[in-house]
Amino acid sequence: MGGSMPLMKRPMAMIVLLSVLTIAAVIVCPMIGIRWISPLCIMHDSDLRFIFLNIRIPRTLVSLFVGGGLAVAGMIYQAIFRNPLADPYTLGVSSGASLGAAVCIVAGVGGTAFGMSAVTFGALVGAVVSTLIIYVFAWSREGNSSTLLLAGVVVATVCSGFIMFIHFVGGLHKSFQLLRWLMGGVDGVSYSMFFFLVVPLTAFFIIIGLFMPQLDQFLTGDNIAHSRGVNIRVSRNMFIIVTALAVGSIVAVCGPIGFIGVIAPHACRMLVPGIRHRLLSVCSFLLGGSFLVVADTLARSIAPPSEIPVGIITAMLGGPFFLIVLFRKKSRLLM
Amino acid sequence: MKCTEAMLDITDLWASYGSAAVLRGLSLRIQRNERWAIIGRNGTGKSTLIKLVAGLLNPEQGIIRVDGTDVKRYSSKKRAQVMAYVPQKLDGIIPYSVHDFIMLGRYNSMGLLGVPSPKDYEAVREAIDICGIRHIVGRLMSTLSGGELQRVLLAGAVAQQTPLLLLDEPTTFLDPAHECLFFDALARLHKQRELTIVMVTHDINTAIAQCTHVGALLDGSFIFTGTSREFASRCPVLLDEIFSVSFERYTCSSRNAEAFGAWGVPCL
Repeated sequence: MGGSMPLMKRPMAMIVLLSVLTIAAVIVCPMIGIRWISPLCIMHDSDLRFIFLNIRIPRTLVSLFVGGGLAVAGMIYQAIFRNPLADPYTLGVSSGASLGAAVCIVAGVGGTAFGMSAVTFGALVGAVVSTLIIYVFAWSREGNSSTLLLAGVVVATVCSGFIMFIHFVGGLHKSFQLLRWLMGGVDGVSYSMFFFLVVPLTAFFIIIGLFMPQLDQFLTGDNIAHSRGVNIRVSRNMFIIVTALAVGSIVAVCGPIGFIGVIAPHACRMLVPGIRHRLLSVCSFLLGGSFLVVADTLARSIAPPSEIPVGIITAMLGGPFFLIVLFRKKSRLLM
Repeated sequence: MKCTEAMLDITDLWASYGSAAVLRGLSLRIQRNERWAIIGRNGTGKSTLIKLVAGLLNPEQGIIRVDGTDVKRYSSKKRAQVMAYVPQKLDGIIPYSVHDFIMLGRYNSMGLLGVPSPKDYEAVREAIDICGIRHIVGRLMSTLSGGELQRVLLAGAVAQQTPLLLLDEPTTFLDPAHECLFFDALARLHKQRELTIVMVTHDINTAIAQCTHVGALLDGSFIFTGTSREFASRCPVLLDEIFSVSFERYTCSSRNAEAFGAWGVPCL
């Protein structure tokens, strides 16, 4: 009995802590960069004010939503596939979205449809198609966790094969443009890109927010969840489609950024064992978001005057973390 | 009208995995408030039967009526109001506290947002008391022993407050002491409310002592259905037929018989 209170209190404490961390990151990080921009400078120097307001602020906000969105997407994949290592990157969803976007970038398809750019549209299609391939072949046929991840690896490999091909035929200029995009980064984003990211992601958060109790049920296993009254197939399909669309719109803005979907939810689970999805999603969003804000600040500051694509930083930090989770897979505190 | 209906009514049920038929034209009627033990050899389709009833599998042929309605016609929510299912074992870690896990059993009665009402808390408290697990409600599911886990799984199903409870080998992995605690919980539950229980078990003595009726499966259909008293009276012969090994009655002091069972296969 004595142990029950901390388990209930800790998630709230964690949310407060992460909120403070996130707010601090969002306020402080725009000031940091190749050039330090303090609030005082903004008052006096109009050039710095322009950089701060039109480059660094949108970049920070995009990082927040990209990191948070990827973390929540990872959390959902981990629950519906009951696999602690599932995330948009390891399942090949990011790769599928990249291939779709790459085709559009190199083909030079401009234009917009339904208010979306062609690149966004390509990424959405790629994300949905690759998720369906993985789902149909690896999971729905009595698949288990390992076949799912293997299928993800296969899809990612096939997609990168096609991307290589596109590189090859694309010509030098297009190829470099594509390569830079594929490394994943939030540089050069504008308020309009932020808008195109925030609208679909807000819709995504609202939809999944309504179905958090179902995510809780998924982690008790299909049999128990079914007997509790969850329509497993309908619910899983809904989550798959909605999450694929969210990942597609993220990848369209900033390319594939890996491992945040593994890092953030698991770090939260380690800090608050037994946390349920409603609070876990909030914690994951805050942690994933602030992590990417900080990682992006590092990316643009550590090697001046050039900027490192933030995807490189998250991969270098995320890879080792992934291995830790992998080897702690049997650990009792994780899922 | 509804009360005269059988709780569970199975007619001419066929099921198979691939080309191998597991259940061949099985029929069974279970009335309200009965406790049934389904026994039989490994692979005779005991678990398949219970999964079919729970709607986890679809039969090839035949009709399963629970509370007068075809199982296939239930919506997910409605089904969960009629029956709860406790699986044989977990196929992974459940990363919640015991209390939260039992609260998840209230999924059905909670609204879209899953916010528990006082009634839900009351149902969870009752389930915790019935299953005798108050001392572990704050623990994580992943830290429980097998015996504790089984009672927590039972509590999750009890919190669902359904008239039918399906248990798939609930005590297979338990030591005699925890088995005892488990059946104490079932007895308390049965005393508190009208409840029909269908339980798959390998333990013949459990079947006789804890259940009102026994159904014995052999090669995909029942070779015996009836009261456990009747089953006990036909015991050695029937058991030999079901398991194709000869059973003996062990008579020792009554205390031992209770702990270790009265029917067993002699060891060489």
